Amino acid sequence: MNDRRIVRRARPLLGTLVEIGATAIDGAAPQATADAVDAAFARVAALQQRLSRFVAASDVGRFNAASAGTCIDVGGDARTVLGAAAELRDASDGAFDVTLGSGTHAWRLDGRRLHKLADRAQIDLGGIAKGHAVDCAVATLEQHGVAAGWVNAGGDLRAFGDLALPIELRDEEGGGVRRFATIEDGAFATSRRQAADGVARHASVAAPRCLWADALTKVVVVTANAGHPLLARFGARGWLHDPRSGIA
Amino acid sequence: MRLTLAGALGAVAAAAPAAAFAVDYLTAEQAARLMFPDADRFEPRELNLDAAEMQALDAQGVRSRSARWSVQLAQHAGQPLGVVVTDDVVGKFELISYAVGIGLDGTVKQIEILSYRESHGGEIRLPAWRRQFVGKTAASPLRVGDDIANISGATLSCTHVTEGVRRIVAVVALARRNGKLGP
Repeated sequence: MNDRRIVRRARPLLGTLVEIGATAIDGAAPQATADAVDAAFARVAALQQRLSRFVAASDVGRFNAASAGTCIDVGGDARTVLGAAAELRDASDGAFDVTLGSGTHAWRLDGRRLHKLADRAQIDLGGIAKGHAVDCAVATLEQHGVAAGWVNAGGDLRAFGDLALPIELRDEEGGGVRRFATIEDGAFATSRRQAADGVARHASVAAPRCLWADALTKVVVVTANAGHPLLARFGARGWLHDPRSGIA
Repeated sequence: MRLTLAGALGAVAAAAPAAAFAVDYLTAEQAARLMFPDADRFEPRELNLDAAEMQALDAQGVRSRSARWSVQLAQHAGQPLGVVVTDDVVGKFELISYAVGIGLDGTVKQIEILSYRESHGGEIRLPAWRRQFVGKTAASPLRVGDDIANISGATLSCTHVTEGVRRIVAVVALARRNGKLGP
């Protein structure tokens, strides 16, 4: 794999650094691979414009500004992400919550219509949209003819094609990284946040798609259960890392 | 999906010492050519901000940080196309070098990360540690070059890069207003 030519770039997007790696497209000019990477970055930037709560005109910005009892039309990305969020919320008894407690059940997606059921409900897709963005960027690379590569949005990553991607886990306490695993044709995400009991937990999840890996890290952190039954439903596997070392 | 753990249940990883990590994406020259593919010349220029200019930036709420900036003026057939400015920012454990391309209208055309370095706490702030990377030195135990390793961790914020871009946009706008960029 190391003798393959790889185009590797990073840009600040989604509030973090997004890295894209693409193996050179066989039989095409080198520019074709660079163009594929540019297109994948453009896909992520477009998704950010539609899903960021910091963009007033985004689907999320419009929902947050709307009053109870109204509904707004949302685009395909919002439908995918909110559909998954509703499934996870219902299956985890509200442990997965894109409103971060402001109105767990105060929104409802009905086709392309997003209903707001309480004024206080504010959606923040920070716990799931990065994973979806990674999946979309991978799809764009594949559509452009890239056979193997990876996308990493600030630690939520996915590798595709004939390529084994070594994963280094950051030591959140002391800095530096440790080799954790190697992944082929799959996604891996890590999260660290304070749960309701006041304990900061650090978890990783591997799954076939990054949307599920990203979202399920929150379920593992919030429930403190690396073997949560929801993981199996999505073909995922989870780890809770030791808070002292920051690593499992 | 195929996942191979580094050690049994990942536990061996905890015994391994934390290593530094580095990736080089682009040189400053490569980034400049990507941002201005039509340019036939990049003219290096030093911008030296005087006290009044530093104060003007402060008044805009932009911490100017440095009075001296190195910029590349992108030109085609003698006509200006824009500027490219490179900078680096230090986070909790990381050092990020990046380049910003700015068009003639003062808007950001493109931002590219040039390199990413991550290490254990303190040394990232030491000038000697940072200097070792000048000229792409691959010092052990850094994992660079043939390695395609990726970091996973609690989300890294790019706030420092965003602030740095804002600062560069303000510096370039000021320099242009004061005739320090134009022919």
